[in-house]
Amino acid sequence: MIQRVNPDLKKYLVKYGIQDWNECFHCGNCTAICPLTDQGFLFPRKAIRQVQMGLKTSLASNFDPWLCYYCGECSETCPRDANPGELMMSLRRYLTSVYDWTGFSKLFYTKKIWEFLTIIILFILVIASFVVWFPKEQIANFTTYIGDHSFLKVIEAGDLIMAAVVAFVLISNIFRMWYLTILKPKYKVPFIEYFRGIYVLPGVFASQISFRKCDTDGRLYWVNHLLLMTGYTLMFILVVVFLPKFQVSEVYNWYHWQRLLGYYATFGLLFGLSAMFIGRWRKKSEKFKFSHLSDWLFIIMLFLTTLTGILVHIFRLADMPYATYYLYIIHLAVLVPMICVEVPFSKWSHLAYRPFSIYFYYLKKAALSKQHKSKLAAAA
Amino acid sequence: MEETRIGLYVCWCGTNIAKMVDVENVAKEMESMPNVVVSKDYKYMCSDPGQDLIIKDIKEHNLNRVVVSACSPRIHEITFRKALENAGLNPYMFEMANIREHDSWVHTDREEATRKAKTLIAGALNRVRWHESLEKRTVDMNPATLIIGGGIAGISAALEIADSGKKVYLIEKSDKLGGHLLNVDLTYPYMYSAQEMIKPKIDRIENNPDIDVFLNTQIEDLTGYVGNFQTKISKDGAEKELKFGSIIVATGLKAFKPDTIKGYDYTNFPNVITSVEFEAMLKSGKILTKEGKEPKNIFIIHCVGSRNHDYHEYCSRTCCMTALKYSNQIRSALPDSHIYHAYADMRAFGKGCEELYTKTSRKDVIFLMYDQKNDLPKIKKASVKDKCEMLIELNEKLSGESVEVAADMVILMVAMESQDNAKTLGQTVGVSLCGNEFYIEKHPKLDPVATTTDGVYVVGSCQSPKDIPDSVSQARAAAARILAKINYGTVEVEVTTAVVNEELCCGCQTCVSVCPYTAISYDDEKNVSVVNEVLCKGCGTCGSACPTGAIKCRHYTDQQILSQIEGLLSKSLELQEV
Repeated sequence: MIQRVNPDLKKYLVKYGIQDWNECFHCGNCTAICPLTDQGFLFPRKAIRQVQMGLKTSLASNFDPWLCYYCGECSETCPRDANPGELMMSLRRYLTSVYDWTGFSKLFYTKKIWEFLTIIILFILVIASFVVWFPKEQIANFTTYIGDHSFLKVIEAGDLIMAAVVAFVLISNIFRMWYLTILKPKYKVPFIEYFRGIYVLPGVFASQISFRKCDTDGRLYWVNHLLLMTGYTLMFILVVVFLPKFQVSEVYNWYHWQRLLGYYATFGLLFGLSAMFIGRWRKKSEKFKFSHLSDWLFIIMLFLTTLTGILVHIFRLADMPYATYYLYIIHLAVLVPMICVEVPFSKWSHLAYRPFSIYFYYLKKAALSKQHKSKLAAAA
Repeated sequence: MEETRIGLYVCWCGTNIAKMVDVENVAKEMESMPNVVVSKDYKYMCSDPGQDLIIKDIKEHNLNRVVVSACSPRIHEITFRKALENAGLNPYMFEMANIREHDSWVHTDREEATRKAKTLIAGALNRVRWHESLEKRTVDMNPATLIIGGGIAGISAALEIADSGKKVYLIEKSDKLGGHLLNVDLTYPYMYSAQEMIKPKIDRIENNPDIDVFLNTQIEDLTGYVGNFQTKISKDGAEKELKFGSIIVATGLKAFKPDTIKGYDYTNFPNVITSVEFEAMLKSGKILTKEGKEPKNIFIIHCVGSRNHDYHEYCSRTCCMTALKYSNQIRSALPDSHIYHAYADMRAFGKGCEELYTKTSRKDVIFLMYDQKNDLPKIKKASVKDKCEMLIELNEKLSGESVEVAADMVILMVAMESQDNAKTLGQTVGVSLCGNEFYIEKHPKLDPVATTTDGVYVVGSCQSPKDIPDSVSQARAAAARILAKINYGTVEVEVTTAVVNEELCCGCQTCVSVCPYTAISYDDEKNVSVVNEVLCKGCGTCGSACPTGAIKCRHYTDQQILSQIEGLLSKSLELQEV
């Protein structure tokens, strides 16, 4: 298929954080140094080329940026300071908006004001709904009412509706990613491979194993990310799926599984977030040198959610119902926009796209290897 | 007659000869040959101690002939002749046996190679005994210089020579001086104005009384030799004879015509233009399509006619940088335009050129790499919905993608070619052409200015595609060479010339017709042929054609050659018997 070279695309991509594309003259050092470069998968040079030439279709079908964990080796090695690592990062933002059919992602990335507005509107909506709906007489004994069956039912319903909407958007976007990266470029993946490859998904998700290959600053960053990811996922499962068991009127002993899990998740979130915050603040490591506004927003929202969650817990243990109540509202008012905006449309979506890119990478390789074998057979 | 006393020296040439020829054995065995007084082997005969060895032996053993068996006489005959001269011997009492190129380098059997070395030396020993003393001859150097071509190379050389007060005849076939530079706007990489560079030089030429400029003039025939050339030119209807001692050929280049490249369809698309046309556009100050509109998309194709076996294999050396220069000029004139380059390799070797590339690459210019050997871009007419005039299709190498590019103007960076009359002019002045029809220099590395004809120099793009600094350097180098010769005052001429024995000459004039240098004339009064010794190059053609044996070629007499053959054969027979 012939693609039109589009010199204006990169000017548009600047909004996603792309810079220095002009510098690259394709020496290939970045690809050579990259610990993840695999036969025939020429990253990150290939992605830079697609940006330089403005090949929209090629970029949309390129899932290489999701395979990259930004160790920063390429940017450090680049003789022209073209920042290939940051280009891959920017492309992840761009690809998120490409996969998202609702258009919100594009809107949030390219017009910042809309992201803030949405967050503020959702924030106000949550508070307003509490003001309107919450029975005032229960505020004084909120420390026990928090686990009340009638209260929980409403919160759980809201939880599940939000989860369903978010999941629907995310899953449909993953299908679009599949369409753009596998179906549209016409990779003929043998059907059986879809089942054979499925095992990679939970494995890479839980262990972050591919991340470790890229951990050139020692293991610390991998540990950080693992703590943050497991903490977040655990907390997500606890509050969305097991809310009736997690948010209860009774205060269990500190060694009860429910509290231990909660503490682990909180520790993971706090530790991981602080490490990221410090990293982005100091800009010492290559991967933290450039921060897009969306990167900061992600850290701040998550941090606020964690902090308010901790405070709710403390105030409750201290038997302070009013403080607990107000903090609980603020906690939800931050949590709801964070999940609604970040998970399907912004930085958080990488938790879905990354494992799936490894899955699609497996499929693409299977298709290419089959194509290669049939070519060899035809030649013979 | 004095006794013949020969010194024989066998060179090892490090391991070049010694590894395939048993040099010690050769030197030892050949010592017993008739008239050989000393026979020695040495690591490097051409080195200073090697030459000193010969000089010492000549004096000590009273030698009057020397044979060195080493490399080719093309490399070191002069060296050893000088050694003989230093020892007080006539340099022509010397012969070389080539046991490297003719022996050690081309054989694999050490025994056979050693035997061959002995045979070759026997021939040389037999020949050298018939050598005669020859005296060097010199002629006066005419201090005037003829320069053919009034471009930047010819102009630079002319000014350099005339500035030292020597006469220059500057011949230009067109009606003005300046050459291609007259049509150039800015020059890469520093963006100097070409007109500001060339105009003052032309003024200086016109005001210099030592330079005679002949416009609309070409030379058709030329006679003479280094130091004493002459030609007739016609100016204003009148014939004029010019005499000069040196010639600089600076005839320059012509632009490749891209009509023959099918995919570019140069003749049909009005907005597909050559770099020459675009340069004129820049000089006029406006970049416009044929319809008079400012182009939005400008596509520059590199290597048009260069580096492709269908056109020219060579690289034209200046187009990459000129194309970058265009990008800068377009970016200043049309800041919002899209600039694309289809290039094969970006060749930025000159001073300031890599910097120009870096600077240009930061001006949002898209470089698309194509295969200039097998896969040229195709220019197609665009449809209305494409919102451009042409579409260029190419397979982009760095991305591996097939792409199309919108274009309103296509610039073809055309190759440099040699001039149409390069061959005839080369024959006139005695310079040959290389496979690409550029003039051949004497040595590609060590003598890139002179030619195999003494006194004739080639400078600028007539020798190979060149940029301005290279042309100017070469022109000034040639001027320096010529001034050195003028300063010396005389030039040595060939002594190994032909002589006619008037008693034997029957006046058949066969020699007159075969001489390639028109050095032989016929004396009507005496009815014999006469050799002009300054014109004769000693090629020997007349000697072999002469039916009566009246012509003798000095240093290549029948006796010398036959003796050498005799020596070769007898030694070879002798060795076979063993």
